[in-house]
Amino acid sequence: MQRKVNDVGGLPSTPIDHEEHDPTFFEKRIDAMLMLLTSPKVHAFSVDALRRAIEENTADDYTKRGYYEKWLKAIRQLLIEQGIVSEAEIIERIDAIKKRKN
Amino acid sequence: MVKLGPPEAHCRTPTYLRGTSGEVVELVGHYHNPSLLAFHKPGLPKVWLYRVRFKQTSIWDQYKGSERDCVMADLYEHWLMPTKEQ
Repeated sequence: MQRKVNDVGGLPSTPIDHEEHDPTFFEKRIDAMLMLLTSPKVHAFSVDALRRAIEENTADDYTKRGYYEKWLKAIRQLLIEQGIVSEAEIIERIDAIKKRKN
Repeated sequence: MVKLGPPEAHCRTPTYLRGTSGEVVELVGHYHNPSLLAFHKPGLPKVWLYRVRFKQTSIWDQYKGSERDCVMADLYEHWLMPTKEQ
């Protein structure tokens, strides 16, 4: 049966890693960004859209990327979908930051 | 019974429940449709959310636990269909 990458209940698996770690600065930033973007006042997109964007990952991306990395990728995609920023603007900004750091 | 067939573009119903019959134990509420919200739509008309109880033995062929073990799932009306016996 056709299933989405996140729909893994009941499939054979390796043991689950239960090790905990303190939230990293990167994770906190992504969390804060999502909370602000989905707050009622801003409402850039819905949590349902976030989940849908995450489910659109390829199986390979879904497995390799961490939880917050998938959030970040989905945030980027949804901001473009909603016309809030363009792909070109994001690339331009990344280039500008890279230059500043060099 | 949980509908069979390919999942919609955004479906919160796990594959392991598809085609399985359960018992509705609670009407949770009336909410914006997540299948539409996922695509930046207003999510209207609203849809009913049901809490459904499934027996573990009816989900997994080789389930070795108690006959009384259950899974509860919150499922929207458009992912469910009436069971034939009724």
